[in-house]
Amino acid sequence: MSEVTPPGENTKKGVSRRGFIVGGAAGLAGIAAAYYLTRGNGGPGGTLEGCVTTDLSDTEARLAVSNWPEYIDEDDGDVLSTLSLFMQQSGIDVTYTPDVNDNVEFFTKVRNQLGACQPTGRDLFVLTDWMAARMIEAGWIQQLTKANVPNLDANLISSLEGPGWDPNRDYSAPWQSGFTGIAYNKSLVGEVRTMDELLTREDLKGRVTMLTEMRDTMGLLMLSNGADPSNFSDSDWSAALDKLSKARTDGQIRAFTGNEYINDLAAGNIAACVAWSGDVAAAEDENLVFLPPEEGMMIWSDNMLVPVQGTHKANAEKWINHYYDPKIAAQLAAYVWYVCPVEGAREEMESIDPSLVDNPLIFPTEEYLASTHGFMALDESTAQGYEQDFSDVIG
Amino acid sequence: MSLADGRTRDLRLAGLHKQYPNGFAAVQSLDLEIPQGSFFALLGPSGCGKTTTLRMVAGLEVPTAGTIHIGDQDITHEKPYKRPVNTVFQNYALFPHLTIAENVEFGPRRRGEKDVSAQAKEILELTELTEQASKKPAQLSGGQQQRVALARALINRPEVLLLDEPLGALDLKLRRAMQIELKRIQEEVGLTFVHVTHDQEEAMTMADTVAVMNLGVIEQMGTPYELYTNPRTTFVANFLGRSNLIKGTVLGREGSGADAVVKVDMHGTVVTISAARVHTESSEGWVGIRPEKVLIQPEGTPIDAPGDHFSGAVVTGSSYIGVSTEYELLMPWGQEITCFEQNTGRRGGLVPVGTRVDVSWRPEFAFLLDSSQDAEAGIQET
Amino acid sequence: MAALQRALGRNSAYLLVGPAALWLGIFFVIPMISLLTTSLSDPAGSPIYGYSMTWRFENYVDVVADYWPYLVRSFVYAGIATVLCLILGYTLAYAIAFKAGRFKTLMLVLVVAPFFTSFLVRTLSWKLILADNGWLVETLKTLHLMPEDGRLLATPIAVVAGLTYNFLPFMILPLYASLEKIDPKLNEAAADLYANPFKRFWNVVWPLSLPGVVGGTLLTFIPASGDYINASLLGNPNTQMVGNRIQSLFTTGSDYPHAAALSVILMVLIVVMVMVYVRRAGTEDLL
Repeated sequence: MSEVTPPGENTKKGVSRRGFIVGGAAGLAGIAAAYYLTRGNGGPGGTLEGCVTTDLSDTEARLAVSNWPEYIDEDDGDVLSTLSLFMQQSGIDVTYTPDVNDNVEFFTKVRNQLGACQPTGRDLFVLTDWMAARMIEAGWIQQLTKANVPNLDANLISSLEGPGWDPNRDYSAPWQSGFTGIAYNKSLVGEVRTMDELLTREDLKGRVTMLTEMRDTMGLLMLSNGADPSNFSDSDWSAALDKLSKARTDGQIRAFTGNEYINDLAAGNIAACVAWSGDVAAAEDENLVFLPPEEGMMIWSDNMLVPVQGTHKANAEKWINHYYDPKIAAQLAAYVWYVCPVEGAREEMESIDPSLVDNPLIFPTEEYLASTHGFMALDESTAQGYEQDFSDVIG
Repeated sequence: MSLADGRTRDLRLAGLHKQYPNGFAAVQSLDLEIPQGSFFALLGPSGCGKTTTLRMVAGLEVPTAGTIHIGDQDITHEKPYKRPVNTVFQNYALFPHLTIAENVEFGPRRRGEKDVSAQAKEILELTELTEQASKKPAQLSGGQQQRVALARALINRPEVLLLDEPLGALDLKLRRAMQIELKRIQEEVGLTFVHVTHDQEEAMTMADTVAVMNLGVIEQMGTPYELYTNPRTTFVANFLGRSNLIKGTVLGREGSGADAVVKVDMHGTVVTISAARVHTESSEGWVGIRPEKVLIQPEGTPIDAPGDHFSGAVVTGSSYIGVSTEYELLMPWGQEITCFEQNTGRRGGLVPVGTRVDVSWRPEFAFLLDSSQDAEAGIQET
Repeated sequence: MAALQRALGRNSAYLLVGPAALWLGIFFVIPMISLLTTSLSDPAGSPIYGYSMTWRFENYVDVVADYWPYLVRSFVYAGIATVLCLILGYTLAYAIAFKAGRFKTLMLVLVVAPFFTSFLVRTLSWKLILADNGWLVETLKTLHLMPEDGRLLATPIAVVAGLTYNFLPFMILPLYASLEKIDPKLNEAAADLYANPFKRFWNVVWPLSLPGVVGGTLLTFIPASGDYINASLLGNPNTQMVGNRIQSLFTTGSDYPHAAALSVILMVLIVVMVMVYVRRAGTEDLL
């Protein structure tokens, strides 16, 4: 780095170098300011017209998948996992990353690339209904080629066909589904049958948690008011929100949480809560009971999506097709204990783990399904209004 | 605080002993009486226990055994902040966050005295620090900081003022000036000063009484003149100035009372030493003579001050220091001794190296030390 | 350093400043501009379709009007935690600096040791300690120090305790650094000058440790007021701090402009409070 410079030039050079640093910093700041002032913030600013993704599946036997943690079975001795089976059968090399911890968090991770039609490094990821709906509406998701996923059409259980935000399942395929209902610790309190009990019973005061996922918590609240979460009005919404707000102010609610509620429930820090069915099942704690509130419960799915610039769409479709094979689906369901979206998996389960065949949390009965409700599809601005209301209440 | 009761307030240390947990005995059975109002110096090399002694007097160190009194008052176990004793610390330990005035006022304010500012003003004048009153210690020179440390202690009018190497951090010129200054102040305020130092010249110039300490015990105590002219141990003989120590055999004792003398055979020459200057009972001893008492003259020319006389020495080295010249002499029995000669001009030049010379000294300057002691003890490395 | 300077030649100052300037430029200035412009954008937009920058200063009025209790709560909790940290940290730092002897290094390592595990894990373990059926609560109930239906988890006490615990090392280290610099001779000098142990502390040790006190309180208070992990894991919906509100506006609420405005307000308030504090502590020259 040392340079020999004639003394006369030294000062000049010094000035220019300082000028370079100061000017550079100012310039950088200026460019940034101009960028943010003109482009606005927080989003790429619009749907993707003319964003074309080239499918390289023919030449590259690769696939990058992002999923939620502990949402797939693992190799167990001689028994190959569903993932290993896929790689073996298809010859596709899968990079599987469990890096989806939270819908919003994942959204913030990928939104800049997706919005600018740039690759995220992922060919397929798994997001919950409402986030899937949002991304599809924004045009960030590639349409599936039906001919490549015959198992999806053939085996998707009827209750999950045609949600409002993807009527023909052109863009999404449920990975697993689940119920949102009430869970309680039967060693601490008696049965909690309704949301109203949860929100008002004296023995539960300060020992109740609710989910930060708006659609789960608010859906159940609307059901408890007799409203239909799949088709509700602003006043239904406000009434439910008031109910939540009151319970919070009364000190009935201890916290609004993500997945971590299940540990608190098992440890006895909370006695009852709004819960996801699979969490309770997977906890394998006989004191923990999941039950649908009398007024009905919520059903949701986590959906496989192929994003724009996911350059191995055909490989992704092979993956989807693989997981809609009833035998594979049963093997997966036996591990994750969520609702299996694949018809025929129940029969296959007979040979894998007969004790699970009649578990309604994995293979719900018609009667069980009859009490489930989905959450109304919301357009972007309505969704945002509701989300702001909700976040104001949960703090 | 002073002598309202009229009794003396001497500082008395009796059987003072300090052993550290690791077993090291820093001070061993020390007895010391320091008269009120005197300027007392504790002189010794580092590690001799002089600072430990001082710290025990200040209350910063608890004695393992023994007592400390001021007059009749036993202060052995008194808390440091309750003793009528103040310390000028080595490197001063001035409070860096306080101004000079605040540093000086620290003691009186803690005692809840009134009129502190006036006292401070007075003491700052005495130590010529009035101009610096509102500065912080870091803004002062070493000499000024030293004076602040002194003022901060003096303002309390302690019965005993302890000074721990107070001039050690100053350069030579400043040290000389401060020595005179300290002496002046001590005479002005009339307090008991106990001054700890390793600098023999400093101790001798300032103190009325000097105690030479070595390895936790006091080797000898007395006025600087006594210590220098009549040292009792090889350590004192070497630590205070320099000494030529020559092996001798005691032939016998003669006379009595003030006239008693001891005759010593020193490599064939019999020398006579006054009994008051003999500090050994054994049959062998070190005959000591200060280099400046040693006279030389080239062979064949008369020595004008006759005394004990030796022939056959050779000058093996000389260093000219201006005011005097230091000669190294090889004695006939093979020992080198040192001679300091004032450059009075009488000789009209130096004695060249290689010259054979006669050596003599007046018998009353010699002293006899115990031969079991190490002749090298107390020699300071230069 | 000198060798490096020589090697870099006469323009070394610029070269040495360069990387830091670039770093700050990229990771501080640009995000700040992004934050400021977001905070002035129209909240009618969305994370997907973007927000248009309309110089909407009402965002600031909105968030102050709606969320001032969160700001107050944050500063109160952070303030209490800072005072607790100061009391706990000062005694410990004092002990390490003056009394620990050969255990000094070991104790310092122990102070820093919690940093070897993640902040989140440490806070989660507090959930175990404070749990409703945990040993601590059970013991307190047995000793009748707590009512039968009492609890620690999900209370303000838990949040403040968590903040205190998590930021304690940030208090101890600067305190230790400035206490350790105090010459023990000064303490002796004060003792010699009639100061009893209390006066010695108050007149010598405390004023000399002020740089550490100021540094430590800032390093504790600033991150504690912006913290959201403790309130989120150990608190309840009524103990949420401003950090939680910013987070939930940003995530659950998808309301970036208001989240950004609240962040800017938090930042400005902290800067103002720090300036007032430092001036009042009279330690500008010590910092």
